[in-house]
Amino acid sequence: MSIEINEEYFEKLALTVIDGEDEECVKLVNEGLDAGVDPLDAVEKGLARGIDKVGEDFGAGIIFLPELAMAADVMKQGTTILDERIKASGEKRASHGKVVIGTIKGDIHDIGKSVVAAVMQANGYDVVDIGIDIDVDAFIDALKEHDADVLGMSTLLTLPLMEMEKVIIRLKEIGMRDDIKVIVGGCPVTQEFADEIGADAVGFDAQDAVFKLDGLMGVNRSRATAQA
Amino acid sequence: MKGFDGKLVGSVHPITRDECKMVHDAAIRVLEQGGVRCDDERAAKMFEDAGCTLENNRELVKIPEKAVMDALAKCPGSFTLHGRNDPTKDCSIGTGEVHFCTVTGRYIDDIRTGERRKVTRQDAIDGTLMADALENVHGLYKPVMWLFDEEMICNSQILTTEWMKHTNKPGTWVYNTGAEHEVSDLIKMWQIAVGGEEEMRQKPHMLGHVVVNPPRVIDVHYTDWLIGFCDSGTPLSIESALMGGATGPATRAGMLVQCMVEIYSLVVQSQSYKPGHPLAFCSFNPAMDMRTGLWATGTPEYGINGGGIAAMAKYHNIPVVGFGMSDSCEFDQQTAHEKALKNYNYALAGLSWIIDLGGTAGFNLVSWPEMVLENEMVAYIGEYLKGIQIDEERLSVDTILKVGPLPGSYMKEKHTRKWFREEFFMPELNNKEFFESWQRGHVELQEKAKQKALSILDNHQSPVAAEIQQELDSYLDFCMQRDLG
Ligand code: B12
Repeated sequence: MSIEINEEYFEKLALTVIDGEDEECVKLVNEGLDAGVDPLDAVEKGLARGIDKVGEDFGAGIIFLPELAMAADVMKQGTTILDERIKASGEKRASHGKVVIGTIKGDIHDIGKSVVAAVMQANGYDVVDIGIDIDVDAFIDALKEHDADVLGMSTLLTLPLMEMEKVIIRLKEIGMRDDIKVIVGGCPVTQEFADEIGADAVGFDAQDAVFKLDGLMGVNRSRATAQA
Repeated sequence: MKGFDGKLVGSVHPITRDECKMVHDAAIRVLEQGGVRCDDERAAKMFEDAGCTLENNRELVKIPEKAVMDALAKCPGSFTLHGRNDPTKDCSIGTGEVHFCTVTGRYIDDIRTGERRKVTRQDAIDGTLMADALENVHGLYKPVMWLFDEEMICNSQILTTEWMKHTNKPGTWVYNTGAEHEVSDLIKMWQIAVGGEEEMRQKPHMLGHVVVNPPRVIDVHYTDWLIGFCDSGTPLSIESALMGGATGPATRAGMLVQCMVEIYSLVVQSQSYKPGHPLAFCSFNPAMDMRTGLWATGTPEYGINGGGIAAMAKYHNIPVVGFGMSDSCEFDQQTAHEKALKNYNYALAGLSWIIDLGGTAGFNLVSWPEMVLENEMVAYIGEYLKGIQIDEERLSVDTILKVGPLPGSYMKEKHTRKWFREEFFMPELNNKEFFESWQRGHVELQEKAKQKALSILDNHQSPVAAEIQQELDSYLDFCMQRDLG
C-alpha cells in the first residue's frame, strides 16, 4: 500500500530531520518516491524545512551541536537518495553550493573541521567531509569527484600551514582556481595569511565560516540561521 | 543553567573504590574487544611483545587485561622531577605532594602597552624569569607556545634554549612543531642543562607528555617522543586528549572509561618498551561546549574527570598529574573561579603536578600579572592543604585557660607571638583593608600585580650558570646552521 503525498507527509519528513531519525527519513523518502513524490518537493517542502527549523533553534540556543550535526547528517542521507532522481530528471535542486572540506596534510585535528562542516550543512550547503591529514592530490580528486563549488581547508598547526598554499597553487595549475571558492580556517590562520596564499576567505569559527561562505556564494539570508 | 539544590554531598574523589573497579572492568572490555589502532610498526612491536594480539595488518591492537596488569605492576609508585643543579627545586611526584606549574599561550597581554599581541622570543625569556622568581611556581610548561618572531623550523629549539637558560625549576613538555630534529635536539638541550646524558638519567628534570589521539589511536609522532623520553630517562605523563561529546562519550563515566582505555594502552606500550620506566596518569579532558564546540577547559566536567583519573591512579598506586585552565578570554572573575575551584579540587584529589598558572583560554593567552595573582591563589590552596595541625602546644589549652573569660586578650600573649606567622596566612597582594580605608584610596589588585611583575622583570636574574648558558647557545647555533644554513 503506498502512502499519500500531502502536507502531512512533508511535515513528517521535516520532523525526521529535526529529530535526527535517519532510518525513518530514508524509509519515508523511499516510500514517497514509490508513491510518486516529486523529489524536488521532498527536499524543499520536507527536508529543507526541517533543517531550517533546526538552524533556527540552534541559533536560539534551544538545541546544541550534537542535535545540529545529527540533523545535518539525516538531511544528507535523504538528499543523497533524492539527488539521484533529481539528476535523472534533468532538474536542479536549490543548494547554496557544494563544499569539500578537510584538514590538511600533517595535521590530524578533526573536531573543528567537523563542527564547521556540520554547521555549513545545517545552513543549506552540501558538505563532503573528506577527513584529516589530506594531501594536495586527495583534495583535488575530491573536488573533481564531487563537482564542488567550494574548498574548505582546516589546520590548527603552524608548521604545515603552507600545505594550504600548495593546494591553491595546484588549483591554478590545472585551471580550476576560477571555478572554486577557497575558504580556510583554524587557529593559526589569519586574514593576512589567507590573503597571502590567495584564499578567498577565512572563517574564525563556525558561524563566521557560514557568514563568509554566504558572502562568497552570494547567499542573502533574511534572518540568522544555524549559528554557533 | 542547572541549579544546585543544596542537597549534594562532597567527597575528595568523585568515585569509590568499587566504582574504580567498574570503570577498570569497562575499560578492559573495550581494550579486549575493540582495542586501539596503531599507525606504525614500532608501536605494533611494543604491543606484541607485551602479549597483545595484532589484527588488520598489525594496525589494530587488542589488549588483554593481563598485559595491562603486568604493565601497571612495573610502574613505580613515585618519582622525582629534579631542579636543574638545584635540589631545593625538586618536585616529588606520587608521594602526595602537590606542585604547580605554568601554562602556555599564543597571545600575551603586553604588560607595558596593555596591547594583546602574538608572543615572541623576548616573552619566552620574560615568562621563564617570572616563573623562576615566583615562589609558588614549582615548574614550567613552555612559557609561550611559539616564537612568532622566529623561524618556525627551529622554533622549539630556540624556545627551549631560552627556557633552559633562565630557570632551574623542572618542566613539562608536550611536542610542539613536529620538525625533523625536534626530539633529539630538545633532549640534547635538556641534557646540556644538567651537565650530560648520564646526569639527566640520574636526575630527570622534565616530564614528557605522550598523548593518545582520540578515539583510540596511538599516534606515530607521540611514539617518536615516547621512545625519546624513555631512552633519555625522562618520566612520562600519559593522557587521552578526548573531548566529551566529540572524540569521547557524552557521559562523565563514559569519558572516564575511554580515558582509562587510552591511558592503559600507553602504560602497556611504554612498559613494554622500557619496563619500570616512571610514569603518571594525566588529566586533560574537557566536555565539548555544546554550543560552540570549544575545547572547554574551565568546565566542572573537566575538573571532575581529573578527580576520576586521580581515583583510578590511586586505585593502581600510580602518580597523577593534570592540566588546569579556564575558558575565559580575559583575566577576570571567570578565570579566577574556574581556576580556583579546579585547582583546589585537583590538589585535594592528589594531583602532584598541576599545569595551569599564568594563562587562560585553552592555551591561547598568557599574562605575567596574572601569573603573579595565581601565585597568590596557589598560596591559598597551600594553606587549605596544610589543614589543622594537632599537637600539645598548638592545642593551646594553657593559654586558653590563662586568658579567658573576658576581660582578657590573646594579643599580647607570647603564645600568639610565637605562632601567628606560622599558623595564619598573610597574602601579599589580596586586599585586607578596612572598608572605609579602602574607600578613601587604594591600589587595584590588578595594578599591584602589574607592579610586582614589572619589578621581577626589571630585577630578577637567571640562576643558570654562565657555562651552561653558553653551551646551550652553541648547540642552538649548531641547529640553526644545520636547518637554516
Ligand atoms: C584536541 C587537541 C588535540 C588532539 C586532537 C584530537 C582530534 N581527534 O581532533 C591531539 C591530542 C591529537 C592533538 C595533537 C596535537 N596538537 Co593539538 N590541540 C587540541 C586542542 C586542545 C583542542 C582542539 C579542538 O578540537 N578544538 C575544538 C574545535 C571546535 O575548535 P577549532 O579546532 O579551533 O575549530 C574552530 C575554528 O578554528 C574554526 N575552524 C577550524 N577549522 C576550520 C576550517 C574552515 C574552512 C573554517 C572556515 C573554519 C575553521 O572553526 C572551528 C569551530 O569554531 C587545541 C587547543 C585549543 N584550545 O584549541 C590543541 C592545539 C590545536 N594543538 C596544538 C599542537 C601543537 C598539537 C601537537 C603538535 C602536539 C601537542 N602539543 O599536542 C599535535 C599535532 C598532531 C598532528 N600531527 O596534527 C596547538 C597548536 C598551536 C598553534 N597552531 O599555534 C594547540 C593550539 C594547543 C597546544 N599547545 O597543544 N591536539
